[in-house]
Amino acid sequence: MSNQALDRTGARKAPLFGLPAVAVVALLLYLPFLWTTYVSFTDYDGLASPVWSGLANYKAMFSDPDLIGALVNTLLWVVGMVTLPVALGLLIAVLTYGHKWGTWLRLPFLLPYAISGVAVGVIWGFVLQPDGALGQALGFFGLPGAHTGWLQAGPGNTLMMIVAVTWQAAGVNALLFVVGLQSIPAEPLEAARLDGAEGFSLFRHHLWPQLRPITTVVIGLSIVGSLKTFDVVWVMTQGGPGTSSETLALSMYKETFVLNDYGQGAAIALFLSLVTFAASILYLRYQLGDAREQG
Amino acid sequence: MSRVKTAILVVLGLIWLAPIYLLVVNASKSVDGYDAKTVWKPAGFSLFANFGDAWSKAALGDTLVATTMYSVIAPVVAVLIGSAAGYAIVVLRLKRGFLWFVFIFGGTIFPLQMILMPLFSGYANSGLYDTRIGMIIVYTAISVPFSAFVMRNFFTGIARSVFEAAVVDGGGLFRIFRSIYLPMAGSALAAIFILQATFVWNDLLLGLTLSQSDSVRPIMPALTGLQSTYGGASLPTVLAGGLLVSLPTVILFLAAQRFFSRGLALGQF
Repeated sequence: MSNQALDRTGARKAPLFGLPAVAVVALLLYLPFLWTTYVSFTDYDGLASPVWSGLANYKAMFSDPDLIGALVNTLLWVVGMVTLPVALGLLIAVLTYGHKWGTWLRLPFLLPYAISGVAVGVIWGFVLQPDGALGQALGFFGLPGAHTGWLQAGPGNTLMMIVAVTWQAAGVNALLFVVGLQSIPAEPLEAARLDGAEGFSLFRHHLWPQLRPITTVVIGLSIVGSLKTFDVVWVMTQGGPGTSSETLALSMYKETFVLNDYGQGAAIALFLSLVTFAASILYLRYQLGDAREQG
Repeated sequence: MSRVKTAILVVLGLIWLAPIYLLVVNASKSVDGYDAKTVWKPAGFSLFANFGDAWSKAALGDTLVATTMYSVIAPVVAVLIGSAAGYAIVVLRLKRGFLWFVFIFGGTIFPLQMILMPLFSGYANSGLYDTRIGMIIVYTAISVPFSAFVMRNFFTGIARSVFEAAVVDGGGLFRIFRSIYLPMAGSALAAIFILQATFVWNDLLLGLTLSQSDSVRPIMPALTGLQSTYGGASLPTVLAGGLLVSLPTVILFLAAQRFFSRGLALGQF
């Protein structure tokens, strides 16, 4: 059979094989996406028909004090997650890379990653109890803060939960940075070492510039992940006390399924999606770029 | 220099292990012997009694069975659907294949929040709400884009002559898919399966939204239920529950670390 005939036979039957994936994705992901988009411009309680309300739900996001609070908290999460776990991940990667026991020394940081967000919330909720594990440890070392109610007021509660997620996420970032370090060619690095570069100077002038692409991916992933923050907060504070630790992802859930304000929930969801999409472009460019080159 | 590095890593590592130490030690204390003032000191070993408590009180038994079902069936179905799509696009050269690929892969770019409400309404109207089949369907759908992504890349690496030879040998397109392409993709299939099974096992949001009864609700929402119903005196029970639900993913992770790092680089989590 000629190549062209082969391609024709293949292409004729190809839709059959592609159909299940396209159908499942269209029906369960894209269709709901479109409905949420529409509902975000309406007043809808899930029972009566949606009534067009223009941008009212979006305006509420920037005027309702609770939602503004959630917006600020979400921003805190984004800033916290692109700094703490990224910096720690980089530190761990650089320290363990090329180290004799590197794989083993990295393990304590990777272990928390295998644990679910819910379990992380359970563990840290316990650690951060008033006069709990953290308080007792501080007291033991004679440090201040032994009796702090870590989760009892904003924005402190959000910051402590960022610490909890840093505990979970730093190892993953370290792993990604190690992958990045492995892709750096060895010879120029050796040459730099022979020229006397070492320690921080070696890192700054020879390693860091080559880590740019992977850093972009790590930061992109961190932003996308932090915008979706739900599990840990849901378990540790349920967004409280009051709404002091609510994130937008949590507000979306509450507006929709607790307050039955589907339109408001949908507007929050669409807002999150737009920001997520913008952040995704950061690292998707690399992924899809690769895919396209391969054919 | 190397000694300083090691010292920093050891100190940091110990700090990182402290919460896990606290989890294991306090999940092992008997409910009566637990004292909130001495959480750092080990005391007794009632871990299995606490596992049993968590199991019966939170109806974790039922939910474990259900969650195991979801974490096995949904990724397997998704891997098959995704492979078929990859096969159609790469091997059979589907028309406008790249666009269809972007369409399928784009399904997971936006956050779950975007689809929760319509899924809830749709499930309530169609009788899928709070059913095991409903949960399997939604977990499958979520897992398809990533499967298609990986399988498409994998099949791109297989020489065209394999397909030509198979057609000359007179195999049907379905048989070529099933008995030549799928078996070749073993490692990729395993990687996708492990990553997606972990995702399903760890899911909270979909389970919270689309189910309520003990026999349908996945394990993570069940654990949050345990946390809010109990607490205070029976903290060891809650912690034992947290430890219990973490064991499968931790074991899987340690056994298949390199799959995880590969999946990460692909932006799965």
